[in-house]
Amino acid sequence: MIGSLEAATHIAARVAARPAALAALVFLGALTLLATFAGALGLDPLEQDIVRMLEGPSRDYPFGTDELGRDILARVIFGARTSLATAAGAVLLAAAIGVPIGLVAGFFGGWRDAVLMRVVDLLLALPGIMMALALIAVLGRSQAAALVAVGITGVPTFARVARAQVLSLRRRDFVTAVEAFGATSSYSMFRTILPNSWSPILTQMVVLSSVAILLEAALSFLGVGIPPPTPSWGEMLRTGKEYLHDAPTFAVLPGLALTLTILAFDTLGRALSTVLEGRDTVVPARGNQP
Amino acid sequence: MIGFVIRRLLHLIPVLIAASALIFFMMYAVPGGPVAVLVGENATPEQIAEATRQFGLDKPVVLQYVEWLWRALNGDLGVSLHSRVPVLQLIGERLPATLQLAATATVIGLALGIPMALVSALAQGSWLDRVLSGWSALALGVPTFWVGILLILLFAVELRLLPAASTYVPFWEAPWQMLRATILPALTLGLYVSGIFARFLRGSLIAELNADYVRTARSKGLTEGAIVARHVMRNAMLPFVTIVGIMLAGFIGGAVVTEAVFTYPGLGRLVIQAISSRDYPLIQGSILVILAIYILINLLVDVLYVYIDPRIDFG
Repeated sequence: MIGSLEAATHIAARVAARPAALAALVFLGALTLLATFAGALGLDPLEQDIVRMLEGPSRDYPFGTDELGRDILARVIFGARTSLATAAGAVLLAAAIGVPIGLVAGFFGGWRDAVLMRVVDLLLALPGIMMALALIAVLGRSQAAALVAVGITGVPTFARVARAQVLSLRRRDFVTAVEAFGATSSYSMFRTILPNSWSPILTQMVVLSSVAILLEAALSFLGVGIPPPTPSWGEMLRTGKEYLHDAPTFAVLPGLALTLTILAFDTLGRALSTVLEGRDTVVPARGNQP
Repeated sequence: MIGFVIRRLLHLIPVLIAASALIFFMMYAVPGGPVAVLVGENATPEQIAEATRQFGLDKPVVLQYVEWLWRALNGDLGVSLHSRVPVLQLIGERLPATLQLAATATVIGLALGIPMALVSALAQGSWLDRVLSGWSALALGVPTFWVGILLILLFAVELRLLPAASTYVPFWEAPWQMLRATILPALTLGLYVSGIFARFLRGSLIAELNADYVRTARSKGLTEGAIVARHVMRNAMLPFVTIVGIMLAGFIGGAVVTEAVFTYPGLGRLVIQAISSRDYPLIQGSILVILAIYILINLLVDVLYVYIDPRIDFG
């Protein structure tokens, strides 16, 4: 979809020319590598060293140990895996549902537009965290439920972006030409308009990754997200909060990892938006911060 | 004006009906349906039949929804499965705490955000502007639950100045204790919204500062202070009212996580407790009330906006 490798390299170079974006890119790249090869590093997020519970940072345990004597560094790295995988899944789910909704609403207009966009407005009317909580109440607590709950909250954003794209591209000559040759509606939508809409959609995917990571961590922090013992930053903050007196680093370090990741995705999204669309079009989504 | 308000209220009806239907039918998506929730997993067929009859679950689903909605409109949201207390009473107990926290947080956000925006806009492009813009980006991006934990660590664990857990103390009963008990969660949320407030107000201040009427005022010889105080600020505040309203509305129910950090007894924690104990009447009722308040505050903001901006036509 991204035209050519050349175009992608060009965009990457322009994003990387911005120091903050480059730092974000390097951080996220390193985090992804660590998360992917976490198993090969010889770290075990579940192994318990019961004589060394709630210790501060030391040579053996650079981030200290938790209430069960587990290595916090290992749990932060494996937590990155949980966090990144859930966010990626949630953002892809949101785009997979939201983009077709927006395309159909914008392409056909009329009653389809009215009905679909009212549904989208309704989804926007609830604070994101409330909606995610309601979905968890129905789906039960699991990693899949957390992914779906976070993903659904992102649907309205993609629907709106895709709809706006259709409305602006619909009257362009190349779309008219394709339609004049007798293209079907779905060909126009998915083969002509969609490939020309990837830049705002991609920007939204990066920006929404930060929202998804935040929301997933918030759900785990509330004790309704990904169930233990799977390491997750939100869950670590939840438990670490109980031991602030004895082991302050227990809650502080996973929180730092979470914060840096969120800020990195946000910075990258803004840079991408500036490069692709000429300005920073990212607005803080309504009530996405719990 | 009254016509405008009535029209806006009429627009709300389909939204509320759709939202309430969504909330109601969610319960049917639960494995085993609502009966399983009411009687528990190990119920005998007799118990299931009894519960089905007792709660009217043998009636057509749409009829059940209409009856539920009708009772809700009459102030009956059912009884909590867990505590056997009317849902509305439970919500009523938590609502003042949530409103008080939301209001305090908004005041803190305004107290920090407005001066930041003013300084940023007047010194646009300076190092101070860049520092303040960086600060608002940080305030927006850092998760509130981590900020809350850091505040607890500093003020409760290290300095021992404030309690780590917050309780609800009504302001008019004991203002000083209320401040002590609420300041940390309010500061957590206030820091976050100050970033949003500063960013939006800076934007509209800069737009106003470049407007023609400002040039006219300058050429008349008005001092910069008078221009900002008497003209620019008033116009820039208009769109800002909407943002403040949206954020305030978002705190009703949207402050779940901050409430959890400080174990503050607000509406958000009620929902969490309801979800943890699978207390469906309580989940449905509290989400419905939160949504209704959220929509109503947004309506109030729209009305207020039209009221304070004489240029807007009610039509």
